[in-house]
Amino acid sequence: MQSKTLKKGKTIPADFLYSPRAATIIRTKQMTANEKFFEIGFDDGQPLGQQPGQFIQLSIFGVGEAPVGVCSSPTKKDRSTFEICVRKVGTFTSALHRLNKGDKLGVRGPFGRGFPIDELKGNDVLIVAGGLGIVPLRSLINFIIDRKRDFGNVMILLGCKEPKDRLFTDEIDEWGNMLNISYACTVDRAAPDWKGNVGVITTLIPGVHIDKNRTYAVVVGPPVMYKYVIAELLKKGLSENQIILSLERRMKCGLGKCGHCQINHLYVCKDGPTFTYAELKGLGEAL
Amino acid sequence: MSDKKNKKVRIAFFDFADCEGCQLQLTYLNEQLVGLLDHVEIVNFREVISEKSDNYDIAIVEGSITRKHDEERVKEIRKNAKIVIAYGACACIGGVNGLRKKFTQQEAKDIVYKGREFPLEAGEPRPVHDVVKVDYYIHGCPTNNEETIKALKSILIGKGYQPPTYPVCVECKLKENVCLFEKRQVCMGPVTRAGCGAWCPSYGNICYGCRGLLDNPATQGEMDILKKHGYTLEELTQKFETYNLCRMMGEQNEPKKS
Amino acid sequence: MRYVSLQKNKLSQFVKSLQKKYKVVAPVKKENLFVFAEVEDPEEISIDYIPTILPPKKYFLPQHEKLGTFVKDSVSMAETNIDVEPTVLFGAHTCDIEGIECMDIVFHDSPLDPYFGKRKKSVIIIGYECMKPCDEYATCVTMDTLNPRAGYDIMITDIGDKYILHLNSPEGIEIGKNALFGKVTNERDMKNKLLKLREDKLKNFKVLLDAEYKELNKIFKGSYNSETWKDVGRKCVSCGNCTAVCPTCYCFDIYDDVKLDMSGGERRRVWDSCQLDEFATVAGGENFRKERSSRQRHRYYRKFDYSVIKYNKFFCVGCGRCTRTCMADISLIETVNSLTKEQKNAK
Repeated sequence: MQSKTLKKGKTIPADFLYSPRAATIIRTKQMTANEKFFEIGFDDGQPLGQQPGQFIQLSIFGVGEAPVGVCSSPTKKDRSTFEICVRKVGTFTSALHRLNKGDKLGVRGPFGRGFPIDELKGNDVLIVAGGLGIVPLRSLINFIIDRKRDFGNVMILLGCKEPKDRLFTDEIDEWGNMLNISYACTVDRAAPDWKGNVGVITTLIPGVHIDKNRTYAVVVGPPVMYKYVIAELLKKGLSENQIILSLERRMKCGLGKCGHCQINHLYVCKDGPTFTYAELKGLGEAL
Repeated sequence: MSDKKNKKVRIAFFDFADCEGCQLQLTYLNEQLVGLLDHVEIVNFREVISEKSDNYDIAIVEGSITRKHDEERVKEIRKNAKIVIAYGACACIGGVNGLRKKFTQQEAKDIVYKGREFPLEAGEPRPVHDVVKVDYYIHGCPTNNEETIKALKSILIGKGYQPPTYPVCVECKLKENVCLFEKRQVCMGPVTRAGCGAWCPSYGNICYGCRGLLDNPATQGEMDILKKHGYTLEELTQKFETYNLCRMMGEQNEPKKS
Repeated sequence: MRYVSLQKNKLSQFVKSLQKKYKVVAPVKKENLFVFAEVEDPEEISIDYIPTILPPKKYFLPQHEKLGTFVKDSVSMAETNIDVEPTVLFGAHTCDIEGIECMDIVFHDSPLDPYFGKRKKSVIIIGYECMKPCDEYATCVTMDTLNPRAGYDIMITDIGDKYILHLNSPEGIEIGKNALFGKVTNERDMKNKLLKLREDKLKNFKVLLDAEYKELNKIFKGSYNSETWKDVGRKCVSCGNCTAVCPTCYCFDIYDDVKLDMSGGERRRVWDSCQLDEFATVAGGENFRKERSSRQRHRYYRKFDYSVIKYNKFFCVGCGRCTRTCMADISLIETVNSLTKEQKNAK
């Protein structure tokens, strides 16, 4: 367990440490029975200024705060807004789901270290999204689409429980139609009329053509998925620092203080949430 | 629950097998209760008002459910209410009423009434959630007003209320109380759900476990601690039993929220 | 002027003079134990005390602390500034002062925590050097926190016939100008005298850890999968006492406290503990440290390894509180010695 030099996220101005900035919901869309999409803009018109893969702390006074990954790219046409997509799983997210267009929210952030875009540039990118993992990855996919000149082939592998759980389906169809972007999807179970793949996401990896020297894999999904996907990717010849992961942990402060998100010596909120496999390998609490 | 302007949330109190001590607690709220009345209307509260109404949003149920008649009554309450709150140890975990379960009904009658006439129907004490779905729990014997207010506020703003899942020790230590084990007293704090602000230990009394066992108590660890202090398993069981017999005799803890 | 002297019967007078300008918090008796509390009458102070129930971190990171206020339907916080009364922390042991130093590193690590920062600036730290061991739980000798080093404005040392006060900051020197104090004319001699004293006092202290300071981190590097953690986990009742009383545990939770009329409220933080069931549980229900053994291991590694990786510093100050407070008899000394034994046997 050696100390590793991690690239730090952006420094946060002291004023915003614990004080949310006022924001308004511009648009919402019910994505599935449990997932809802929100487009949010700061009341002062300032852009969020996030990197793909960073997260924010959303605030509803009286209810509390929760960390939420941003799913829009900073290259989005209207930079005065950003987007999130949230699953209803607890007290906070239930309260959030009750909010609609015009409702106010508090926002702190962006926090954490996003995906290493500069390193990804000039390479092929294999995106592996399990379940809700597509949410933060959408920020990266859209970033790549908007900066397509800088990237090689992009392969998107998507896995979810059932066809009805798929998120951003209309966008995904568009991605699939783009040159240099390939896309495959698998579901754990489906009705007989489902024409796509059935099986866990790892079954898609062997069939993907990977240039092992010049490909980065970016993997986001439920904790149980990582171990198996990483094993498949290593088999494909990717090295440990060509595998990028994003981890979910409980977070309260977002500032590397409150201790909830700690994995061994790392703070996910500050050192992550994105890590290379090389950074996490050997840490007992990481994967 | 949205707190739409001009429309107060209607709260009704009901009691079953209990001493009404928890409802009595609320009368100590004084001006705090008045502040709360800006947002709620109390339509049924035997301790304070004589009017009754079947039109309510929140039913606060005190006491454990024992007789057939009680079962029907609480089911009716469940039908009328949008939200049911189990209020106090008897309602939440069976409480001291659970001790009845140590005997058959006849034995219990004999012990209590010693041959005197007993014309009333008796039954098996159960926590409310054994009979109807309970939305929220406010534990304690008696309930602690600070927690009650916190829970009600939380429920009224739509956040709901979950009592802590950690033991009383957490709140006790933050108050910098001298640990009762330090004073050679046997305290149920380590296995009892917090939320009371370590009420009893802060006044030098042991924790009796009135808020119920933790969802995930370190029962063996606690037993080891107590044994170390020279207590027999029997004495320990007795301690646990005072409030927690319903659960110890196979009743489930309140169902986990999804 | 680095040193002044004080007659032993003048300690109360000294405290009284401090009280003119500062709120004074000091160790006082609470039943059979001690706590830091505000003192009205200096006679309440128990200067010969074993570590208090809670360490003085509560003056820098209070158990409950307001982060700001909010009003209904608004989304930004108001009143995020805190007022801290100028305070003297009187009689802190060197282990606790080291604890404050550890907290300082964490909360000053970018981004600076403004609340901690402000409290830290508002508290004058007057230490009191231990000349004899407190009890059988402290490991200050091995952790090398037995002697004053840094982190205080003034250090009071009992040299037998009188107290010597080391003035270690401009604020300390200012306080040292008080007419109560005698001059120390030869400061070099005094320094040497104190060095000698510290060398001599060591024989009063027992070394309780089998590993030396320099070996400790290496032992932890090899002990992640040790069976010892299972033993510790089996005893643990997850009461969170060990983290509450630790001078270097700083984890907190954040919550909203709504006013009764629901017109607004306060956002606050409260001490939290990695030993509690839900500490590492995410909204979806996954608990990343489900086993008590892994939670206990995490606590120890935060003291002996993770802090070394992050700050090149042990976050165990050897005060012994975690062992003293644990009703399940989880002993830091036994745990560390057990790991040490395993590691030495493995060689």
